[in-house]
Amino acid sequence: MTATTTARGVHLTGLTKVFGEGDAAVHALKGVDLEISSGEFVVVIGPSGSGKTTLCNIIGGIETATSGTVMVAGEDISRTKPAKLSDFRRDHVGFIFQFFNLIPTLTARENVEMIVEMTGRGDKAQVPAHLEAVGLGDKLDSFPAQLSGGQQQRVAVARALATDPDILLADEPTGALDLPTGRQILELLQELNRQGKTIIIVTHNLSVGQIADRVITVVDGQIKSIESNDSPAAAADVTW
Amino acid sequence: MNATTKKAFRDLWRSKAQVIAVAVTIMLGVMIYIATAGAFQNLSASYDQTYERLHFADLTATGGDLDAVAQDALDAGASAAITRTQVDPPMLIEDTKLVGRVIGMPTDAQPAVNQVDVIDGDYFDEGATDQILLETHAADTFGVGPGDTLQIFSTTGWVDVTVQGVVDSPEYLWPARSRQEILSDPNSFAVAFAPEESVQGWFEIPANQTQVLLPDTADARVASEKREPWETDTGIAVAQAMTDAGASALQSQADQPSNATLSEDLQGFDQMSVAFPALFLIAAGVASWVLLTRRILQETPVIGTMMAAGARRGRVLRHYVLQGLLMGGVGALLGVALGVPANAAITSAYTGFIGVPDTVVRNYPWMLVIGLVFGVVVGVLGALGPAVSASRIAPAQAMRPASDAKAPGGWSRWVARQRWLPVSGRMALRDVVRSKRRTLATMLGTVLALVLVLTSVGMMTSILAAITTQFEDIELEDASVVAQSEAGVGDALADVDGVERVEATTLGQVTLKGPDGTYQTTLTGFEPDTQMHGFIGTDGTAVTLPDDGVLAGQFLSEEIGIAAGDTITITSDAGQNEVTVVGFLDEPIGTSVYATNDTARSLLPNEGTESYALAFTAESTTETARDQIRDTVTQLEGVVAYQDVRAIVGQLNQYLGLFWAFIGIMIVMGTVLALAVMYVTMSVNVVERTGELATLRAAGAPLRKVAGAVATENLVATVLGIPFGLAIGAWSAGAFLASFNDDLFTLELQWGWWTLPAAALGVLLAAAVSQWPAARAIRRVDIARVVRERAA
Ligand SMILES: Nc1ncnc2c1ncn2[C@@H]1O[C@H](COP(=O)(O)OP(=O)(O)OP(=O)(O)O)[C@@H](O)[C@H]1O
Ligand SMILES: [Mg+2]
Repeated sequence: MTATTTARGVHLTGLTKVFGEGDAAVHALKGVDLEISSGEFVVVIGPSGSGKTTLCNIIGGIETATSGTVMVAGEDISRTKPAKLSDFRRDHVGFIFQFFNLIPTLTARENVEMIVEMTGRGDKAQVPAHLEAVGLGDKLDSFPAQLSGGQQQRVAVARALATDPDILLADEPTGALDLPTGRQILELLQELNRQGKTIIIVTHNLSVGQIADRVITVVDGQIKSIESNDSPAAAADVTW
Repeated sequence: MNATTKKAFRDLWRSKAQVIAVAVTIMLGVMIYIATAGAFQNLSASYDQTYERLHFADLTATGGDLDAVAQDALDAGASAAITRTQVDPPMLIEDTKLVGRVIGMPTDAQPAVNQVDVIDGDYFDEGATDQILLETHAADTFGVGPGDTLQIFSTTGWVDVTVQGVVDSPEYLWPARSRQEILSDPNSFAVAFAPEESVQGWFEIPANQTQVLLPDTADARVASEKREPWETDTGIAVAQAMTDAGASALQSQADQPSNATLSEDLQGFDQMSVAFPALFLIAAGVASWVLLTRRILQETPVIGTMMAAGARRGRVLRHYVLQGLLMGGVGALLGVALGVPANAAITSAYTGFIGVPDTVVRNYPWMLVIGLVFGVVVGVLGALGPAVSASRIAPAQAMRPASDAKAPGGWSRWVARQRWLPVSGRMALRDVVRSKRRTLATMLGTVLALVLVLTSVGMMTSILAAITTQFEDIELEDASVVAQSEAGVGDALADVDGVERVEATTLGQVTLKGPDGTYQTTLTGFEPDTQMHGFIGTDGTAVTLPDDGVLAGQFLSEEIGIAAGDTITITSDAGQNEVTVVGFLDEPIGTSVYATNDTARSLLPNEGTESYALAFTAESTTETARDQIRDTVTQLEGVVAYQDVRAIVGQLNQYLGLFWAFIGIMIVMGTVLALAVMYVTMSVNVVERTGELATLRAAGAPLRKVAGAVATENLVATVLGIPFGLAIGAWSAGAFLASFNDDLFTLELQWGWWTLPAAALGVLLAAAVSQWPAARAIRRVDIARVVRERAA
């Protein structure tokens, strides 16, 4: 792990997150130190309420830390104002959600184009290629209602790729999908990782850990263990 | 408090701004209703109190043996009856000569019928002969008060009289000489009450009026709408007894010029006091519908879950109806609370403006209840639709995230091919059709906003246009003069400084009889090629006076059932004649009949007077110049009456005072309401799409662009609503105007070319302004929370 890859990766020190105040305060993260290198494939697992989503959201810049430092892709976003975080996300991260969050009134192609248009990053001409890459070359003009769950999630992946992010963040990307479809998404993510994207997946699904370089277990707002995986399995072989 | 009630309160709290907007619209509706409907009742009550206190005559008659008529009236059940003398002689007040009115009164005490309120100075000294009580309008117009003197032209010449007091009279709350002269130059009329003996002496005539008071007038007045107030059993018996005793020209209180004018003035107000609040409440209903529909859409999974857990439909229904009930209830309560003082304010403003001596401010419990009930009902109705659809949500829907599962239609596919459009533009176009409910709500908001604004603005511009047409295109003369024929003032008038042209006219009162009724009005004769009056036909083209026959105001066609070319009976003091109505005129104010001077003279009696129309030079349009001309002309030997047309416009505006005030308030409130409705629909559109917006924001799309996309969609829907809003608004303005139409006003919807574009622009602007809070809402979208809600 070289210094440069870390600098472009994720670098968290003493990260805490407290929701609410006083008696109602919830300490979602209680001092997390974590390094994720550029190009790494990381899976975050842990029991419900342990703080996985919070961690993922802070890395992706849609939530801010209470204390500690957050360096992502070479930028210190610990104290960045929400308006500036918008630029950070545009330049560095792509989100994939459990429920796809596609705009129902836009076709697959338009859902991806919309992001390019709205962020001003990426190339519209490349949109069909992105959809091609996720295996939807023949579904460009289909509306979400005409696509299966797996296809919709692949549109969401293509959408996340449209701004050419350094890091892809996926919170339960297979949660709404059946085994074969979920596996297809994981294969897709693995392929993207091979092409150099940093991938962080948050999941309850222990099996997903098999394909990661490292599995980070979060319990009660703290990192309980980090397991390295010298020879990650192919997504196609994973089962649950 | 149980959990569902708590949830209802919390839900309302979560969208405070919209809830407030809905509650405020309901509040405004209820407030305006209570204020205006209450004021209408109070104004009637104020008149009644004055009338009752001052013993305003129920019946006035002339003719017969007056003492016998009065006695028979008393025998038939009248509670009081008096006889008195009334004459319209020339008067000279502060250098202005005019035809006034002198009315005889006892000096020892107020008469039993038609008393006066002495507001300055005193009542007559007992036995006085040369004192008068001057009616307040004349006192104001000429700046005359107790101690001042003026002259009355008696059969033996001018007599000097001293003003003993200034008085309010129930007969002259509105200063009208007759039913036909309700809008006149205030400088041309003055009422002076003088000792009865003196009046009979000055004019060498006996008493000529019998006035009768019926028991319980006020009750009778309220009792029925259709029946004349005096048409109680007693009233009818009294009227019959008077007629039997030889009385003629029986005039009821309802036909008394001042009272008739004022009740007409109030009538339009009555209709507006219901119709305008109704518009507001409809708008409020729509706003609460929009708000709750969105909430239910958003909560579909929650509702589905509750239903899956076995919640009864009724419970779900109740829960959402409760929210409407709360919004409606709070709005209505506030509306009642504000309506009560507003009612008092409007009532006193009006009575002060018109000069009604009594101001009755009452709150009518039934009205407060109606206001409350309507406010609550509107909230509940707005909630009912959404609540019913919530209770129909299938439990299975809980399992899927809220999504639009409809397959795209042809429109969506067509828009998808319009690749030259930016995606956000395509999204806007498609959403407009696919989210029909959202589009409909936005359009509805737009339509209501336009209706509210256009109705008030349309009424205003139409009446302004009517006044302009009347006084710039139709009544081209600047003043009219009546003089004694033998004086031959025609040439002298032409020599007056500032008078450019003089034309002889003919003036007289006539009664027209057609198959469907009779109508009393003035007949005016002009030179065949007159430049003093513009005749505009009902088709809008100019017409000229026919050599034979008359032209009549178009109201007459309906009123007495005649068509152009029909022959009618025209009666004047000269007797009965048959005359052809050659055509009808489109004159917005008043309903008169016109003919050439020759025709008019053949139909009217020769009263030894002649009349003239004057046109002033361009330099003589100032107030001072006109006053100068008035003084000069009225002092010419033989001139008996003078009316300045400009002063009539002032009188008209006074008549319309209440209307102007109402319209002003409506334009302001309508605008507030339009903004509130736009705001609710716009901001709801944002909240409804939180998921999509959060996704875009998570991807790093700048606020500006996201807000822009939403704004585009909102504005497209607004633009779609505009044509409907303009059409319905124009229709509504027309309908309101029509409710004003009678013989005094024939109003058509008129507005400048700019009105519709300006209204459309205004609403677009309101929509655009509403994007600002919408953008704020987008900024405040907690991306993490939305993502978490959706991503387990
Ligand atoms: N907006 C918030 N306000 C208050 N507490 C919050 C908020 N968001 C999360 N929390 C709390 O922070 C803790 C961590 O939440 P987080 O969503 O990160 O858990 P998670 O590990 O993703 O759980 P799951 O596996 O169920 O998704 C939880 O105790 C949760 O209740
Ligand atoms: Mg989570």
